[in-house]
Amino acid sequence: MAEDFNDNKTIQAQSSETISGGGAGVTPDKDYVRPAEVADQDLYHGHSFITKWVFCQDAKVIGVQYFLLATFTGIIGLILSWLMRLQLGFPGAAGFMTAEHYYQFVTMHGMIMVVYFLTALFLGGFGNYLIPLMVGARDMVFPYVNMVSFWMFFVAVGVLLASFFVPGGPTGSGWTLYPPQAILEGTPGSGMGIILMCVSLILFVAGFTMGGLNYLITVLQARTRGMTLMRMPLTVWGIFTATVLAMLAFPALLVSAIMMSLDRILGTSFFMPTILKAGEMLEYGGGSPILFQHLFWFFGHPEVYIVALPAFGIISDLISVHSRKNIFGYRMMVWAIVVIGALSFFVWAHHMYVSGMHPWFGFFFATTTLIIAVPTALKVYNWILTLWRGNIRMNTVMLWCLGFIVTFVNGGITGIFLGNVVVDVPLSDTYFVVAHFHMVMGIAPLMVIMGAVYHWFPLVAGRMLSEKLGKWHFWFTFLGAYSIYFPMHYLGFIGVPRRYFEMYDSPYITSAVGMNEFISTAAFIVGAAQFILIYNIVVSLKMGKPAGKNPWQANSLEWHTPTVPPEHGNWGDKLPVVHRWAYDYSVPGAKEDFIPQTTPPSEVADTEVEKT
Amino acid sequence: MHVGFIFLAVIVGSILFHIFTPWYWTDIASNWGSMDDTITLTFWIGGGVFVAVCLFMVYCVFKFSYKEGRKAEYKPEDKKLEKILTIATTLGVAALLAPGLIVWNQFINVPKNAIHVDVMAWQWGWQYRLPGDDGKLGSTKVANINDNNPFGIILEDPNGKDDVLIQSDVLHLKNNRPVKILLRSVDVLHNWYVPQFRAKMDAVPGVVTYYWFEPNKVGEYEVLCAEYCGVGHYGMRGRVFVKSEPDYENWLQEQETFSDLVAKQEEIEFSKTKLAKK
Amino acid sequence: MSDPKIEGYEFKPGYKGMARDTASDQTMFKGVHWGKAMMWIFLLSDTFIFSCFLISYMKGRGSTPVEWPNASEVFGLHVFGADVPLLLIAIMTFVLITSSGTMALAVKYGYEKNRKMCGWLILATALGGLTFVGMQAFEWSKLIHEGVRPWENPFGAPQFGSFFFMITGFHGTHVSIGVIFLCIYAYKTFAGHYDEGKRGWFTSMKGDYVEIEILGLYWHFVDLVWVFIFAFFYLW
Ligand code: HEA
Ligand code: HEA
Ligand code: CUA
Ligand SMILES: [Cu+2]
Repeated sequence: MAEDFNDNKTIQAQSSETISGGGAGVTPDKDYVRPAEVADQDLYHGHSFITKWVFCQDAKVIGVQYFLLATFTGIIGLILSWLMRLQLGFPGAAGFMTAEHYYQFVTMHGMIMVVYFLTALFLGGFGNYLIPLMVGARDMVFPYVNMVSFWMFFVAVGVLLASFFVPGGPTGSGWTLYPPQAILEGTPGSGMGIILMCVSLILFVAGFTMGGLNYLITVLQARTRGMTLMRMPLTVWGIFTATVLAMLAFPALLVSAIMMSLDRILGTSFFMPTILKAGEMLEYGGGSPILFQHLFWFFGHPEVYIVALPAFGIISDLISVHSRKNIFGYRMMVWAIVVIGALSFFVWAHHMYVSGMHPWFGFFFATTTLIIAVPTALKVYNWILTLWRGNIRMNTVMLWCLGFIVTFVNGGITGIFLGNVVVDVPLSDTYFVVAHFHMVMGIAPLMVIMGAVYHWFPLVAGRMLSEKLGKWHFWFTFLGAYSIYFPMHYLGFIGVPRRYFEMYDSPYITSAVGMNEFISTAAFIVGAAQFILIYNIVVSLKMGKPAGKNPWQANSLEWHTPTVPPEHGNWGDKLPVVHRWAYDYSVPGAKEDFIPQTTPPSEVADTEVEKT
Repeated sequence: MHVGFIFLAVIVGSILFHIFTPWYWTDIASNWGSMDDTITLTFWIGGGVFVAVCLFMVYCVFKFSYKEGRKAEYKPEDKKLEKILTIATTLGVAALLAPGLIVWNQFINVPKNAIHVDVMAWQWGWQYRLPGDDGKLGSTKVANINDNNPFGIILEDPNGKDDVLIQSDVLHLKNNRPVKILLRSVDVLHNWYVPQFRAKMDAVPGVVTYYWFEPNKVGEYEVLCAEYCGVGHYGMRGRVFVKSEPDYENWLQEQETFSDLVAKQEEIEFSKTKLAKK
Repeated sequence: MSDPKIEGYEFKPGYKGMARDTASDQTMFKGVHWGKAMMWIFLLSDTFIFSCFLISYMKGRGSTPVEWPNASEVFGLHVFGADVPLLLIAIMTFVLITSSGTMALAVKYGYEKNRKMCGWLILATALGGLTFVGMQAFEWSKLIHEGVRPWENPFGAPQFGSFFFMITGFHGTHVSIGVIFLCIYAYKTFAGHYDEGKRGWFTSMKGDYVEIEILGLYWHFVDLVWVFIFAFFYLW
């Protein structure tokens, strides 16, 4: 087995050129970077197909595995949303659609999209691929644990999908899984479905914890020489902070899933009060349904930022690269990410304004919720100020960025409506909420994912995606999705409650039949448009224009590996040394409009770079 | 170029949609106009910010699109600008929050003269209980519910005797008189919501929750269940009639009280035992 | 503890030093082994799990309408004709705390490369853990014998049984996993894997005595959590 390792005994410092000069010299060399503190990492190199592609310990392969599996579940979520929209826009058009099915589809759609699609894609997919490359590490710090993390996720998805095939079907209790209904008859899938859901979530949390520890320690302890925290690209900051949130928020989900399964299987009454059903007293009593809601939202609110923060980070990098301009207010951006992350633990009960908790909480949680708007607003300002006086390339990636700004601001503002406690009273549990969270979570981060796919595909595959198809894909998705969710807010104003299988003929609801048909049609088109991307990917993998090195002229480390796509170990035999932040674009005095992070100051002597 | 125009069209389209939409909130029929006002205020501030941000973005798209040879500005930070923006946003947020909290304070403090209404929810229906002449509702317990005591009233509680029981999903309310809705559920979560009254609150099994409003428009309204409660959720409707005082009193007179019900039950019991004896 | 020596890097005391470390390149926690940093963060996450359990317990205990049973009665032990309120639990706690002591010693001898002592002390720790789990099993069976179940409880609120079995069960699982790892590590110590830097079975990382310290962190954490559980269930 010994030959599987590159026993790298040399400590980086001794083999490096920059040690000359020294720290204590009379004229300190301005290219000086401290020697390495940690010996170079040993890596296990797989030889067989299985160790190279299946049980692979290379974070890049694991990232791609996460990405593919998450996309697969996302497409299932998408198909479920089609079925839902079919029922809502054209009731009865799908003959098999009963209320039971509808609620099962809503639940699985919500849960899949939030947890198994977005969370896994951003943290597992982009996190694994980009973190080691962007901080200049050879791999994640615990490659084996990282591999197990993916396979736990795989099993979790398997269990989740298995619930479609058990008697009674998957749970139909809404993705919030509120008890008591989640485990009582009268809710579809209250038998095996809910148990499998809990098991799947527990597996997901366990698997995620393994991955999350990797992301955190890699960022904290395995950066390359010269890479300070304040030189990291914002992508890494976003994913890092989101992982911290996940490590502290998932415990609440784990605990609530355990307690829920015990209530269901053993008949404990953690969440179950005295219940009279069909004239009979059930054997439950004394529990508190609201306790579950607190646990769930203590997880649930940070969770929405777990998907938002990586999106914030990635979009910052994309905007900066493609406007050929430094990100405006980098330090402010970092602090905003951290502050948003911290505050997100103090706002959870804004999902419970009308849940019957003590009304005084309303004052507290409305205040904290609206305070979050301030750091978020700063981020939005900084994005548009980055565009200001830039040199904006109007390519597909930039289009997704612009689409993100519009949809995110729109969804954020509707969040402000809901956060302001009295405004939430009429709007809560209506389609206004549905519109809010699709705009801000379904569409905005999706725009980021798409932008990121177009941006990093050349790195992963070595070939460019087709710009032409990309633009079609963008306009269909952006205009289509906007026309799904913008009008949907007004359904909420009318007062249409969410999770309604059928509207019957209440006057104000029937007035919206036309709108529902329109929304559904738009949803079919938008969903279908996603296959443009898949087609684009499949075709470009073989026939795309070769990307060459650094096709976007970007500064961050991932574009400066010795080979594109990077190999296992990322950096060949010498780790990169970092001399600057990732945003030196269009620096006055420089020949090119970008200065990679690895360029030492002496090579760009007459530039006026700010000290970072 | 066309990129900027399309984004511009999206923004203008949004504004036009908002102005000309045929879908907007139902005519209000309660005192919570202040909620609508808060929403309108939020629309002005939030909508203003949305339009401003997007227009700025579109401006950048027009003005700073890629030109060969142009160099972008290099300016990592601008402390002053960032400070101004922070303060302006904080003020904007405070301007939204302050009125919101004031109205919330009204919402959670129920006026003294409010009529208490017990709304009891189950999968999937509603029934109601009004206080009798003493103006007080008797206390209840889920375990007491049975055919003879459909509301689970605790028999020892003297306040419960004259309670008016409405075993149907139709409730009548007196116009211009505040009501305090006391919500409870015998099984799962529900939510008694009339869009025209604006207010809503979950009914949680095991506890009693409440909210209040003052209906101010005579008419018939539909009750919707606004918290997911199982497959029947979408069909869990009810009706409310808001009536002028005399009409309301007439209706109230016709309703059965708890003691009426007990008496009727006893009569039936009695005749049954008589029958059995024969 | 003295700071590790790092070439080209000057340590500063106090919060200034902390800020300096944070702003520096490469690592935030200077000289801290990756695995150790990982364990600390994992334990932070685990703390949140136990906090959620215990907060739920407080809420559950507060909201149930039925009387909460009296801890000293339920957990009382009848020995030699006298009722001793918390005897078993006192012994259990004592055993667990002692095992923390032996663990600390094992770490010390490990760093001194004293393979024998280190190995035996790890085994002693494992034995302590095993005793604890055994006594826990005894206590569970006693309660079950008396009719306490997760879903019912002759002494009062059924939530008592639910929370008790769930939380002590979750903690007991932690202890059991710890015992398994202790045994593995004892084997590896005796076999000299840490002296030679032999690679692990799965992780392909080189063995190092620091691993014993990492396991020690976990073990001390499990003990600490027990103190809280003890206070919440037996003294409240
Ligand atoms: C990515 C996901 C994401 C994000 C980022 C957000 C962001 C926000 N959300 Fe949202 N939310 C969800 C996902 C998300 N939400 C989901 C999934 C649900 C429903 C769950 C369910 O019930 O199923 C939900 C539900 C939800 C509710 C509960 C509604 C209800 O059920 O009754 C509330 C209430 O407060 C709320 C508020 C907010 C607020 C205040 C923000 C803020 O963070 C937004 C901040 C952003 C801005 C404000 C825009 C930019 C700012 C400016 C341009 C500056 C100027 C602005 C002003 C001066 C106002 N959200
Ligand atoms: C990220 C989250 C996310 C996403 C993307 C979506 C996408 C969509 N959702 Fe989603 N939805 C939720 C999260 C999400 N939803 C949640 C949490 C709920 C609440 C559930 C509950 O109440 O319990 C919900 C509920 C919900 C309802 C309310 C049901 C009800 O209350 O009765 C409706 C109704 O129209 C709806 C419709 C749609 C539609 C039409 C789409 C889409 O069709 C929109 C357009 C599609 C896309 C833009 C493409 C997406 C692309 C992929 C999935 C994969 C492709 C990726 C690659 C190739 C990289 N959803
Ligand atoms: Cu009752 Cu929904
Ligand atoms: Cu939230």
